[in-house]
Amino acid sequence: MNYFVDPFLDNGFLQRALFAGVLVSLTCAVVGTYVVLRGMAFIGDALAHGVLPGVAGALLMGLPAMLGAAVGAAVMVGGIGLITAKSKLSNDTAIGLLFIGLLALGVVMVSSSRELTGDLEAILFGQFLGVNHAELLMQSLALLIVVIVTVFASRPFSLLCFDSDLTRAMGYQAHWYHRLMLFLIAATVVVSFQTVGALLVFGMLLAPAGVGALLARRIVTMMLWAAAVGVMSTYLGLLASYHFSWAAGASVVLTAVTIFFVALVGVSVKKSLSGLRS
Amino acid sequence: MRIIIIMKIMNRNKLNNLAIFLIVGALASVAVVACGGGESSTSPDRPSVVVTYSILGAVVSEVAGEAADVKILMPNGIDPHEWEPSAKDIETLANADLIVSNGLDLEGTVMEAIEEAETKGVAVFHATDHVEVIEFGASGLHNDEEVGPDDERDHDFGDPHFWTSPVEMAAVVLSLGEALSDLGINVADRAAMAAERLINLDQEVSKIVKSIPADQRILITGHESLGYFAHQYGLKVIGAVIPSLSSEAEASAGQLAELKEVIEAEGVRVIFTELGTSPDVVAALASDADVGVVELSTHLLPEDGTYSSFVLDLASTISGALAS
Repeated sequence: MNYFVDPFLDNGFLQRALFAGVLVSLTCAVVGTYVVLRGMAFIGDALAHGVLPGVAGALLMGLPAMLGAAVGAAVMVGGIGLITAKSKLSNDTAIGLLFIGLLALGVVMVSSSRELTGDLEAILFGQFLGVNHAELLMQSLALLIVVIVTVFASRPFSLLCFDSDLTRAMGYQAHWYHRLMLFLIAATVVVSFQTVGALLVFGMLLAPAGVGALLARRIVTMMLWAAAVGVMSTYLGLLASYHFSWAAGASVVLTAVTIFFVALVGVSVKKSLSGLRS
Repeated sequence: MRIIIIMKIMNRNKLNNLAIFLIVGALASVAVVACGGGESSTSPDRPSVVVTYSILGAVVSEVAGEAADVKILMPNGIDPHEWEPSAKDIETLANADLIVSNGLDLEGTVMEAIEEAETKGVAVFHATDHVEVIEFGASGLHNDEEVGPDDERDHDFGDPHFWTSPVEMAAVVLSLGEALSDLGINVADRAAMAAERLINLDQEVSKIVKSIPADQRILITGHESLGYFAHQYGLKVIGAVIPSLSSEAEASAGQLAELKEVIEAEGVRVIFTELGTSPDVVAALASDADVGVVELSTHLLPEDGTYSSFVLDLASTISGALAS
């Protein structure tokens, strides 16, 4: 029992990390399910990187990092819209261009500034063990917003996952709901980068939701699975970080991805077994 | 696409290479056009000496005086573990008569450019070749085993932060004098004088450290950067937030919890942090363990630009925090 519980009871920083990880997991479970179902992984990844120059700029100007991240995400989403509207280039070309452009800008800003020394890694890989109460509050707020928006827009969101023409036929403005979804992804990345890091939040968006998509058919069930896997990964990852002295954020994401592959193998084995029986 | 993850896995050097490739590649064309004029800054009569970072640079300038054109590669105060050279910096290295580096992996990627310059015939002086290198145990704890200057094999685990001890710096200064005279400038007297000043500095620091009560002579630092200082002045480094010689490693829950126990067991009252250590993680640890946080400038040359005030600042900050 001690092995599994005591580390958290004895260390305040681990309690806060666990709490933050649970909040990130729940937010990512809801948003990530749509990301996985709609094949939006690339833009999720791009957003996770695109916030870098925004964060760097905010830190240089002494503004909250989250504000910078929000600006970075807005530039990314707006830029993609602009490129696809003004040219015949495909969506993924637009995403790729902005992604690498913003990432390079961020690296130039961080590497040429004395004040930002050491921050590049902090932004990309997070400060899981340095979470404070204000950040926890911010994450709770983000979770609340994500859940409320999703509840109200659940029907058009579900339709978007399967057929955008059908969404239109049902009388919904498909592109507005698409943007709303982008906003949710951006919001998730923006509030989560401080804990798990801009990069690893992407892992938390994909891996638990991927498990959900493997195991369930209904969107709500997928989200519940994703939430369970995310929370489990946070706990097991932090425990591994404690007992094996692994980097905290990476341990959590590694656990989530491992669970995904275990689930994948489990599902395949089950399928081939039932195939044999019939 | 997943550049950063891959880069992280491949290790930092490759990350730097890729980042340099991406950014320098984009900027190089601009730089070539902009700097078409070329090398007007180097005067032909004085040999050009390039030093990698500012603290060592201050000492080299002191020894060389007006006899050489001393250039410092990294901006003062930047974390040398993280810094990446630009295309122009690599050109500066290639055109130098002598490169003075710290060695022992402190400079990370710059080392490749230095080796490249060395193959083209540029003389290279690694300061840590002339230092009693403190070995850094793989366990994450210091042991006091010392490795002689000739023992190249062990340098991968050698602690590069020798500049926190003026005694080691004095040894470097004497050898540096010889390396400079190989360039055809005679600075033997200046080197001897500089070494003497460093020995005096050492005595001053000893006095400052004496004001710390014996039971408080324990240090917890950001990364493992005070090994030489501690060794020289009878302090003990009992832990680090990032138990690594480089600021690049990341904190783990296990190490942090261990450190918290050490803090409580030893009655530590203050954690020293520095450039490159995550302030959030230090703040979280400090509030949980109920200790103070004091920032040290282990990689920053003070405003007057002298090595002696760097060492004195370091010593008085440490003793002030521990004695209070």
